[in-house]
Amino acid sequence: MFVTDIRKEFYDIVVNQRVVLLVSLDIDALCACKILQALFHCDQVQYTLVPVTGWENLGTAFLEHKEQYQYFVLINCGANVDLLETLQPEEDSIFFICDTHRPVDVVNIYNDTQIKLLIKQDDDLGVPSYEDIFHDDEDEDEEGNRDDSGNESDGGAEPSGKRRRFDEAALERRIERQRARREWEARRREILFDYEQYEYHGTSAAMFMFELAWVMTKDTKDMLWWSIIGLTDQWVHDKITHMKYVTDIVALQRHVSRHNHRNEDEENSLSIDCIRISFEYDLRLALYQHWSLYESICNSCYTSCNFKLWSINGQKKLQEFLADMGLPLKQVRQKFNSMDISVKENLREVIEESSNKFGMKDIRVQTFSVHFGFKNRFLASDVVHAAAALLENVEKEECATDNFIKALDCLSRSNIERLHVGIDLAKKKLKAIQQTVASCICTNLLLSQGPFLYCHLLEGTPDVKLFSKPLALSLLCKYLLKAFVCSTRNKRCKVLPLIMAAPRDVDKGTVIVLGIPPESETSDKKNFFGRAFEKAAESTSSRALHDHFDTSIIELKMEDRSKFLDALITLLS
Amino acid sequence: MFCEKAVELVRELHRMSDGQLPAFNEDGIRQVLEEMKALYEQNQSDVNEAKTEGKSELIPSIKFRHCCLLRNQRCITAYLYDRLLRIRALRWEYGSVLPTTIRFHMCAEEVEWFNQYKKSLASYMRSLGGEEGLDITQDMKPPKSLYIEVRCLKDHGEFEIDDGTVILLKKNSQHFLPRWKCEQLIRQGVLEHVIS
Repeated sequence: MFVTDIRKEFYDIVVNQRVVLLVSLDIDALCACKILQALFHCDQVQYTLVPVTGWENLGTAFLEHKEQYQYFVLINCGANVDLLETLQPEEDSIFFICDTHRPVDVVNIYNDTQIKLLIKQDDDLGVPSYEDIFHDDEDEDEEGNRDDSGNESDGGAEPSGKRRRFDEAALERRIERQRARREWEARRREILFDYEQYEYHGTSAAMFMFELAWVMTKDTKDMLWWSIIGLTDQWVHDKITHMKYVTDIVALQRHVSRHNHRNEDEENSLSIDCIRISFEYDLRLALYQHWSLYESICNSCYTSCNFKLWSINGQKKLQEFLADMGLPLKQVRQKFNSMDISVKENLREVIEESSNKFGMKDIRVQTFSVHFGFKNRFLASDVVHAAAALLENVEKEECATDNFIKALDCLSRSNIERLHVGIDLAKKKLKAIQQTVASCICTNLLLSQGPFLYCHLLEGTPDVKLFSKPLALSLLCKYLLKAFVCSTRNKRCKVLPLIMAAPRDVDKGTVIVLGIPPESETSDKKNFFGRAFEKAAESTSSRALHDHFDTSIIELKMEDRSKFLDALITLLS
Repeated sequence: MFCEKAVELVRELHRMSDGQLPAFNEDGIRQVLEEMKALYEQNQSDVNEAKTEGKSELIPSIKFRHCCLLRNQRCITAYLYDRLLRIRALRWEYGSVLPTTIRFHMCAEEVEWFNQYKKSLASYMRSLGGEEGLDITQDMKPPKSLYIEVRCLKDHGEFEIDDGTVILLKKNSQHFLPRWKCEQLIRQGVLEHVIS
């Protein structure tokens, strides 16, 4: 059931208890976790934090802790599957689920006792009503039988003619009831199919946790910054629409101005070391303040796809663009911090003007930046890229939970070195994505299979290990699809979704398969591949592992790839 | 020269800095006490002589010997008192059971004194903080927080805390636990204190 009063129905209950926090591996979850941890530290709530990579992990973690703990808080996992069925908990375990995955499973919604959903009841939930899906059918049957038996016993005393009539009436009633029942069931299947067909994401978990802190007036600027990062993560990884992003930014902007006005006035201005958050209408160039402007333009999805930088014409256009802005090449190739002040002065406006000429109308986007100390200035998207790179770091053969700890640490202000390490890793990752996209487009690796586009990354591709992780692969997918749409002339292919496969584990011979919806300006980011993958795997009995919390990401055995694809093609045509 | 042995005792204690307790110098004390006895007897006889025969030229030497006696007394009391202060500090550092090496360095009376001190400290602590008493030897300064956040560095299995609940310590899980329970494990290297 949905929690209406966050404070009374969630926080006041757990504040005197010991809790297990089960956190999924994405940046929004990390931010929500940090906010909740800070609140728990204030109130000295004893908790245990366990990172979970997928459903199996969640199950094991639950089994390990179910004896000692009664209250479980799940962050960004658990809402889209019948949790009681999956975990089989005892009567007294209570789950608080704060998850952005939609649609929320109907059993989770209508369970009154054990499952509490920390989700806002937005308009976009579209939950089917109780009567349409749940039917107290035992009473009906009993009633029916009682009626019939009653009639039969009554009918026994009657003359045979009347009895036959009564029997017929009873039989007709029963047939009628069964027909109504079948109709109801068919309608129920249809309603559930429509409800569960598309997978999408709701409001950021970090924003929800920040609201909890705000309701208790325990919110700080650090928590506000984390909620900003959580929202920006959803936008960077293309989980929410641009409209929703802008609406949520406006909501956060109110909090930012409230915090800023609280401290700054004539007499006591803040020291330079205090954290300051400010609203920016800044460029959509990834990491440009920690890189050189040239590198950032080459490796950001938006600019690279619009210029088509994998082709020679594209490179020429880029040179024209730079010339148009009047920026000398030497300046542009230097580290951003070392560029001349005169060049940096009106950089944003200059770039916006020139980009409009070159057909890039949305080069600027609303976001926030943070300042603390003299040197440290970060945009929200910088932190998202850095944390995501740390979370999925494949350089050192560490396990997922080690990386989780590192990424969690880099979000604190006292661990700036770790954030810088993350930024370096993110630069490498963006470069690798760009090169892979360029090679895929140039060598026509992206093929149309009919109802969708398909691309398979072979084992020997450089940096292919990076793409065995879901977040990196989804970024690659998004960039590839955008690049393809910009470069192809085939009108029909422009509206197709994309499925991508990359090697996951060479020893076990598995690939990770991911599907994203078609690219369009007004896309609502609703993904139907979750159900499609399930059905295709079932029908071909392929050895597929639906372990990830996003149902559109699965792991598949290499050998089953072709029959799985064929099944998908038939399913979706 | 007189009083040299007594000063030797004090110097020995002064050399051992940082509150270390050297072995009880039974021998040295005995020598000083013998010296004091000899001086006293000499003084006794001289006083008698001065009184009976009126030899006033003995008075300076009597005075001198008296000063030596006082100096010896002062050195010995300083030695004994400093040792007691060090033994008292040991209670706060090591707890109520001292390591055997240190116990060998204490004489029987000092051990007796230590036990008495332990008893009075315990009854004082029991009188504080309501029914259960408060263990004030835990933290020298008031702690910033009762609970600290710790991260598990290796799989340690189950760990029981005061109210009977059991926590599973798995690698890379983080916990928010009472400070005193974690200190032992932090010292062993199983847990790591997370400062954010």
